[in-house]
Amino acid sequence: MDSVFDELYQKYHHDVFQFLFYMVRNKEQAEDLVQEVYIRVFKSYHRFEGKSSEKTWLFSIARNVAIDSFRKQKGWKGRLLEKLDWSSSQVKDEYPIPEEIMVHKEEVKWIYQCLEHCTVDQRSVVILRFLNDLSITETAETLGWTESKVKTTQHRALKVLKKYMEMFNEKEGSESEKVRVER
Amino acid sequence: MKKSEWSDKQLEELLRQMPQIHDDRNPRDIYQNLSIKKRKRPAWLIPGFAAAAALLLFFLLVPKMLNGTQNSFDSAKQEESSSEAEMSKSDDHSSLLMKKEDSISGSEPEMRITEMNKNSLYDDEVGDGTVITYWIPDSQAQNLVPISIVITPDNNKNWLTNFTESMELLNEEEWGLSDYYPVNAKFELDDTKNTVIVDVPKNHQYGQGSTAEINFITTLKNNIASNSNVNKIMLKTDGQPGIELGNYGVLEEIEVKPEGKHAYFFYKPDGMDTTYLVPSIDTYQDISAAFEAMKTDHQELGLTASLVPSFPIKGVTTKENKLIITLEENAEMENNLETVYSYEAILLTAKDFGIDTITILNAPIQLLGPFDLTQEMKVPLAPNHRQIH
Repeated sequence: MDSVFDELYQKYHHDVFQFLFYMVRNKEQAEDLVQEVYIRVFKSYHRFEGKSSEKTWLFSIARNVAIDSFRKQKGWKGRLLEKLDWSSSQVKDEYPIPEEIMVHKEEVKWIYQCLEHCTVDQRSVVILRFLNDLSITETAETLGWTESKVKTTQHRALKVLKKYMEMFNEKEGSESEKVRVER
Repeated sequence: MKKSEWSDKQLEELLRQMPQIHDDRNPRDIYQNLSIKKRKRPAWLIPGFAAAAALLLFFLLVPKMLNGTQNSFDSAKQEESSSEAEMSKSDDHSSLLMKKEDSISGSEPEMRITEMNKNSLYDDEVGDGTVITYWIPDSQAQNLVPISIVITPDNNKNWLTNFTESMELLNEEEWGLSDYYPVNAKFELDDTKNTVIVDVPKNHQYGQGSTAEINFITTLKNNIASNSNVNKIMLKTDGQPGIELGNYGVLEEIEVKPEGKHAYFFYKPDGMDTTYLVPSIDTYQDISAAFEAMKTDHQELGLTASLVPSFPIKGVTTKENKLIITLEENAEMENNLETVYSYEAILLTAKDFGIDTITILNAPIQLLGPFDLTQEMKVPLAPNHRQIH
């Protein structure tokens, strides 16, 4: 096996996969995309100058791959395929919560669902910061932003999450009330 | 129970609690898939090239195929299409004239009145051009069909040069005849002796079989009689006097004298709508005998009767060079192409008997195709006019 691949896999595969999964919220797609990340890495590995850390470089590639996949989905091809492929569209429409998350407590499920309402940038920041445990500086490097932009985006993302979490809370509250009344 | 505000800290904590998702695949598989994907580019290119090549072939072949079908269609309907083309080209003068006549008489409009609805060439149609008549053997080499074309003559050249140069323009096969021209011989005019010298090469094909010989001699005689007043042909082979022909022996010269007194019949090449007017090989004593003969077919030569029942001649009288034809009274004449050709066969036969003009008496209809039967009619300049490209 290629030694470069081996090294990258050992060091970053898990993190990159994690990031991609939470970006696209679909395990199969994440698997495809991580593949694409490796292809792009190998294509431009010789151009990697070590200006930034290997880690942030890899994450920035992963983010671009994810964004490209969103674009593709939105393009005519994606729409056409969606229309033609009934089974896939049905699955997608329902956005099932993956098994790995289902087994966790209610609040985790909620926040997973709330993440959907964030913009791509906001989601990137949230995932990089809290799931991949990158520092503000590393996140800024990955996204090619200033640190302050990372901070404000993070703030806004949390605000969105908060708003939707409240809604889950209320729903939950009313449901438990209903149960009480029936009793 | 309502939990109030979520703090940022709580949210962050929740996010951190989100489960780790693992890629369950073996890194070996991932690596293998990578190399498959890397190879996928050329794999995508090959069908692309194939599609491009197929498209290229398609575009190359389709026009050819279209042309091919058009060609066969053309030859099947050659006469029709060429007459159609003629119609659009036909000069305004004649079509205007015909319209005028049509409105006066109100005669049957079902026949399209165009130049091509007649067979021969007339005085007023030639303009500055020169008429050349070529005698072309039919596809069975039984009859010689006189075909006339109009060329723009080069006045610096004599008639013989114009004649030989225009041989190239003939499309015998397209016209349903056999490919005969250009003749494999050098033509030379000797004005002082009023003689044409024909010089064939040593390996000429004209002595092979009696039909070839007869056709060669007859076409030469007829071509020169039709297009000039020359009265003698000198024959040479490769510069040496005489030409060796099986049936004739060595032939050094041929007398050319206008024969005349032939009757014109219909000749229809196989599988074509065209009707040619072809003179008989026999000659007739007088014009009445010729007209009588024209009522019956000459099956052995593939010629059909040219005097159709729709042209009922009661009697003919000749006065000097004028012919007066009386038709049966109350006869029914159909205004169709066949009757037009009959009329032209009469005109050409009359011309062969030295007649200049024809008058029809008792004509049941005034207009027959492009002809006004009430007017005195001049005989045609030449038979079987064909367009050349």
